Amino acid sequence: MRPVKHTYLWLLAAFVFSVIYLFPLYWMYITAIKSPSEIFASPPTFWPNDPDLSIYPDVWEAREVPRYMWNSLVIAFGATGLTVVFGTGCAYVLARYRNIWVDVGLFLVLMLQVLPASVMVTPLFVGFNQIGLLGWPRTAVVLGVAAKSMPFFVVLVRAAFMTIPRELEEAGLVDGNSRIGAFIWIVLPMARNAILVCALLIFMQAFGEYIYSASIIQDQKLAPASVGLKTFLGPNSKDWNAIMAYSAMYVTPILAIFILLQRRIVAGLTAGALK
Amino acid sequence: MQIEILNLDKHYGAYHALRDVTVQIPKGQFVALVGPSGCGKSTLLRSIAGLETITSGTLKIEGEIVNDLPPRKRDVAMVFQSYALYPHMSVAENMTYSLRIQGVSKADALKRAREVAEVTGLTDLLDRRPRDLSGGQRQRVAMGRAIVREPKAFLFDEPLSNLDAALRVHMRTEVRALHDRLGATSVYVTHDQIEAMTMADHVVVMRQGVIEQQGAPMELYDRPANKFVAGFIGSPAMNFVDGKIGEDGHSVTLALPNTPVIPLSRKAEAGRNVTVGMRPEHLSLDANDGQIEVAIRSVESTGSMAYYTTRTDPELMLVEQGRNRFRTGDTARLRIAPENVQLFDRKTDIAI
Amino acid sequence: MKRLFISISDGKGFDILLVGLAMFFLLALAGIPLLYNVLMSFQEVDMFTLGSFIRPWAGLDNYRYIFAQPEFWLVMKNTALFVFCSMAGQFVLGFGLAIFFQQNFWGASTIRGLFLVSWVMPGLVVGGIWSFILAGDYGVLNAILEGLGIIDEPVFWKSDPDLAIWAVIIANIWLGLAFNMLLLSVGLAAIPRDLYEAAELDGATAWQRFRTITLPMMRSTIGAVLALGLIGTLQQFDLFPAMTEGGPANTSSVTQYWAWQMSFKQYDFARGATISMLMLVFVFMAAIVYVRSTRGEVRG
Repeated sequence: MRPVKHTYLWLLAAFVFSVIYLFPLYWMYITAIKSPSEIFASPPTFWPNDPDLSIYPDVWEAREVPRYMWNSLVIAFGATGLTVVFGTGCAYVLARYRNIWVDVGLFLVLMLQVLPASVMVTPLFVGFNQIGLLGWPRTAVVLGVAAKSMPFFVVLVRAAFMTIPRELEEAGLVDGNSRIGAFIWIVLPMARNAILVCALLIFMQAFGEYIYSASIIQDQKLAPASVGLKTFLGPNSKDWNAIMAYSAMYVTPILAIFILLQRRIVAGLTAGALK
Repeated sequence: MQIEILNLDKHYGAYHALRDVTVQIPKGQFVALVGPSGCGKSTLLRSIAGLETITSGTLKIEGEIVNDLPPRKRDVAMVFQSYALYPHMSVAENMTYSLRIQGVSKADALKRAREVAEVTGLTDLLDRRPRDLSGGQRQRVAMGRAIVREPKAFLFDEPLSNLDAALRVHMRTEVRALHDRLGATSVYVTHDQIEAMTMADHVVVMRQGVIEQQGAPMELYDRPANKFVAGFIGSPAMNFVDGKIGEDGHSVTLALPNTPVIPLSRKAEAGRNVTVGMRPEHLSLDANDGQIEVAIRSVESTGSMAYYTTRTDPELMLVEQGRNRFRTGDTARLRIAPENVQLFDRKTDIAI
Repeated sequence: MKRLFISISDGKGFDILLVGLAMFFLLALAGIPLLYNVLMSFQEVDMFTLGSFIRPWAGLDNYRYIFAQPEFWLVMKNTALFVFCSMAGQFVLGFGLAIFFQQNFWGASTIRGLFLVSWVMPGLVVGGIWSFILAGDYGVLNAILEGLGIIDEPVFWKSDPDLAIWAVIIANIWLGLAFNMLLLSVGLAAIPRDLYEAAELDGATAWQRFRTITLPMMRSTIGAVLALGLIGTLQQFDLFPAMTEGGPANTSSVTQYWAWQMSFKQYDFARGATISMLMLVFVFMAAIVYVRSTRGEVRG
């Protein structure tokens, strides 16, 4: 495509748009280092009078961030692992064949993709309670989150598998592989990037998950960071610099990973999301 | 027999992809499967490889029935149309892949790959990735990958169709030369009858899952079993004109202007409706000697050959050596060489 | 046994195993719970029967109870408002930005990628940040609007019953905008350039080109984006606990939050399930649009 005229004007406009759009993030980081009184200043200050980074260690300690973050990591890794292990094979089979069973399977997967977590949480809670799984609440959350994210993962990874020519796998079979061997040595290496990107997306979602954890995990010692944030965030919160410091610690790792891998993530997402 | 295909049938649901296919392939032979797209030639090749299951019939490789064996236990190598080179492996890794699976040590496999690379001219490319190679080089790697294995048979699935025209012609002779040097047994699928005719010892012409005819290339050319084979083999294609056998059974009257009568060298059933097939090189034009007068519709000259079409119904195509002696719009007399005329039953299209 | 092993290593058994494991997992943790939800909406569930599968049959009592609640129509209205306005805002702004970033200027795709950070942030954090931005006395949005002269006195976004739902809508638009933009960008990029060049040679203005080429060519993309927007909005939950908790007086409560409150604040699981059922009707309508819009992709 030919370049537009006045490219600097466009860039300037893009810059203005992103400043407006990303302002909430800026506001989070800047509020965290304001003093408690400056937060409530009217009009608000757009740069803190006296930046104070000591809020971070304080919140880290007082709000037990390490424990909450650890639980978030456990849940995110567990759910991502389950999703990748079960979802990859399913996506592969759904990509490889064209028949009525595959269409039925895909239809089911797409229908499951639209189920809201707020609908599923009630039967899952009651069901987990009945089979005694509430004794292992993090495991229960991992199972719920994995089931929630698997359809999304399957749809995206299937699109990646569909771009791998079938002949490559057949060459592997003729060259002496079993189906399992060809899948592991030929198909998986070629879909590796797409699988990693989708796994990362699932990981980020699971890392921020709230509703299942809040409903199923009763013991704060096992709760993830989202539930930890909710302990002091609500309609009447006043402790804003602590909330923002906590939030910053919570999201900065996700944002850093996202910005580093932005191009790959966007490419992986757009390949499968829409054709 | 290296490969025996006996009464093979293949169904996809209600679709009958292969019907009662029987082909015997002796060791060392180069067999071409040829036909229009959808004729089942690729399905047959993939059945030999084990990539398709067969519904009924018997498939033997070196005397062993392989009907239910997975591809990896058949010991055949395949060269795909898209080459199917593993993009995440170097050329050397591509070539040694199957040996490594069989448990050959890395050093031995690499030594073997080097020998083959020498033969196929790949020595300088061994460390490259497939995406850094040209189309012709990829084709060579695909061949090399097959050769390294010393398989019981080579299976080619339209391996030259992604190359440009000049390279394709060059590779024809090269593939055939390799086949001869290795003493290999090859099955080669193509939709290009010229490839089949020039490369193969034995040509199998297929249509709609059925073998129409098989035999040596010149046998198919000179004695096609039916109108389909006659029209498919040979370029430019054979001319077909309706005709009727004369009362004596020794002549045929053509449905052309002035109804020329051609004498037949053998007797045919008097009064029978037939289709008469005449190859373009068996027709010739002359200023005054010939059965009928025709007007010339078009002339194409390549310098060494002249191609004419006539203003008749149906239109006839002729080929002559040398420069064109007539121009568009000229009239000339058409000579039909009676000894080369082919007759087909009008209803069944079977050769008489 | 040997045949089974061969089938798994070399035949169809391999495919059935792979797809079977996933389908079993999904069935156990999504399919069966969904059916269980339907069952519970027709049962009496209390603390005594919570642990048993056989419970007193309630027929349509739970549904009658829900319809009779004073907040029922308020919640339905809020849900409709939340869904419609969130989708409209996300779509219009997303489409505008998608077209803007479709222009070929230096840095366009990188800056567009930055916008997506809103999409990967935990909903609870987004809710917290917006809760602070929209605060009445000290919120920065009020300060900016006052500074621009748009309002004279602070707007109490979260505590004014007429505005509370709008506070959540604003946050939700911010959250989903980028994803809409990304999907629409993909659709825009798929329109062949030469169509625009041909239209330009034919003398079409920019607006005519948008109306006669962009919109018709984007039809299936727009359908999918709207369906995904509807699904995403019905799935949005985290903003409510973070911002308003449905208050004041249920004026910002929506079906999904009400269902959760019923189950996990009042421990009335049967009625929580019943509210969920009402919501599923809308979800499945969205699902059908979505599945239809992806059919092209699904058929390959």
